[in-house]
Amino acid sequence: MDTKPIVKLQNITKVIGKKKIIDDLSLDLFAGQITGFLGPNGAGKTTTIRMMTGLMRPTSGEVFIDGQAISTNFEESMSKVGVIVENPEMYKFMSGYKNLLHFARMNKNVTKDRIDEVIAQVGLQNRIHEKVSTYSLGMRQRLGLAQALLHRPKFLILDEPTNGLDPAGIREFRMYLRKIATEEGVSIFVSSHLLAEIELMCDRIAVIQNGKLISIKEVNGEQESYYYAEVSPKEQAHAFFESKDMKVENFEKGFVIPLETEAVPALITEMVTSNLQIFSFSLHKKTLEDQFLEMTGGGQIAESHKK
Amino acid sequence: MLNLIRNEWLKLWSKKATWVMLVITALLMIGLGGIFKWIQSQTDQVDDWKQSSQAQITSLEEQLAIPNLSDDELKSFEDALLIEKYRLDHNIAPISSESVKGFINEIPGILSIITLFTVVVAAGIVASEFSQGTIKMLLTRPVKRWKILTSKLITVGIFAIVMSAVLLLFGVITGYIFFDQIPGRSLEVVNGNVVDVSFWGRLLLLIGLSLINVFVIGTLAFMIGSVFRSSSLAIGISIFLMFMGVNIVLILSRFEFVKYILFANTNLTQYIGNNQPMIEGLTMPFSIAVISVYVLVFLVISYWSFIRRDVAA
Repeated sequence: MDTKPIVKLQNITKVIGKKKIIDDLSLDLFAGQITGFLGPNGAGKTTTIRMMTGLMRPTSGEVFIDGQAISTNFEESMSKVGVIVENPEMYKFMSGYKNLLHFARMNKNVTKDRIDEVIAQVGLQNRIHEKVSTYSLGMRQRLGLAQALLHRPKFLILDEPTNGLDPAGIREFRMYLRKIATEEGVSIFVSSHLLAEIELMCDRIAVIQNGKLISIKEVNGEQESYYYAEVSPKEQAHAFFESKDMKVENFEKGFVIPLETEAVPALITEMVTSNLQIFSFSLHKKTLEDQFLEMTGGGQIAESHKK
Repeated sequence: MLNLIRNEWLKLWSKKATWVMLVITALLMIGLGGIFKWIQSQTDQVDDWKQSSQAQITSLEEQLAIPNLSDDELKSFEDALLIEKYRLDHNIAPISSESVKGFINEIPGILSIITLFTVVVAAGIVASEFSQGTIKMLLTRPVKRWKILTSKLITVGIFAIVMSAVLLLFGVITGYIFFDQIPGRSLEVVNGNVVDVSFWGRLLLLIGLSLINVFVIGTLAFMIGSVFRSSSLAIGISIFLMFMGVNIVLILSRFEFVKYILFANTNLTQYIGNNQPMIEGLTMPFSIAVISVYVLVFLVISYWSFIRRDVAA
């Protein structure tokens, strides 16, 4: 993988009023990689994205797109960025096609052929000449995506992109993002509340809380594995695990045990010889949701702040 | 930049409201023509310009006899007197209100309707992007913010000019349809001599000067719209000031500072022909200077606010 980041957030801090919304956040995004952006409500996701798209200025720090600072080289850097910020709001009184023409005129080198190509890619051929006010939310999302892709961006920012898409649409959308990431080397940054969605879509997940980046992890990278075991009698089992210095958690009717796959047969043999009765022993997959809640410490909303 | 202006222009005319304004402008001129014609047909007095000119001379001489006239008043009365005498001496009829030219001469006065429409467009052109949420799309394109704002400002200007042209066109057509060609000429005093006024030249000059008024109020609405990002507020304040501005000036007219109030100066047509200015001592160059300062301030505030502020909503 190319080691030079497409997007570089360097010590970004944003103060609104007296409240520090974003606190010294640094993050690199690479070509061909889809990065998920997670965080509880009010953690600063939207503010971060607004600063990456030039809608807001950081109080200190700098955002670089392909080596160019947004604050000093706005036009050069933004020409490499495709954006869907929240719901793609289009001009409802114009047709989808005229909307695309409008945004095409704001970029250099977007031909009519390219517009038609993008329309075909998002599957809007049949309705493109109708007014946007007649579109469903899903169709507007597609139009928003088409708009973001017009100028072949190197970097795509999506805020809640699948909001309003039907299941088939979400799947198609996911496939499509994966395709442009791998084939065209586009770096993609997706913010979403749908954890399962992020898990399926992303290579890498960044978690933000109270304006600070608290974790970046690879989704398919090295993960600790856990096993779920239903064992009886419970007290005896507890003593057994304690004697082996294993940190188990109570979970439903049994325990969750952190364990390497190779060590499973040996452990089971030992448990049987220690007269423990095993009713169930299976791989326990910690979902992203569990990890997320663990990291962010539950569902409390970050301290209120004045907007 | 041309592409940006094209975008703004297409967006503007994609809205029904814009077309409604255009149709209203056209219908208004035709309607006014009809109403004027109807009123004239109700009052069928035979208009003898020589008689009324004579009456005018008598009345002007009486007014000139009043002691302690101001310089502006004195000049205005004397010039008017010169013109009336010249008319009688050389047998030059004034432009009759029942003639084609008479109706067309009303057009600069009716131009204030264009101010109204321009205010609506200027107030909404930035504010509506915020209320529709499209501002996020617009400002994340690789185009600097000042360019976007400039394209919008220019679009408002073109709109005002196009609407004035439509008003003029329909006014002239209506004039020729409803009214008769009656010979008549305007006269004015230049350096003590009575001279002919070119009809079309004067008409275009007056329309041009009225357009400056349209631009000034439009810039005010544009500023409020881009600072507060609310078109209703901008329309409200601008139209209030447009109608009340002159009254405020008249109420405050005994103070010296009134000269520096924008609305004492926006009506540049007051310096054309033998009129006396609304406030004593005002001159065209002074008014142009005052207007320029105000417009500059409006623009600086608009640009500063649009470029510097975060888009949070």
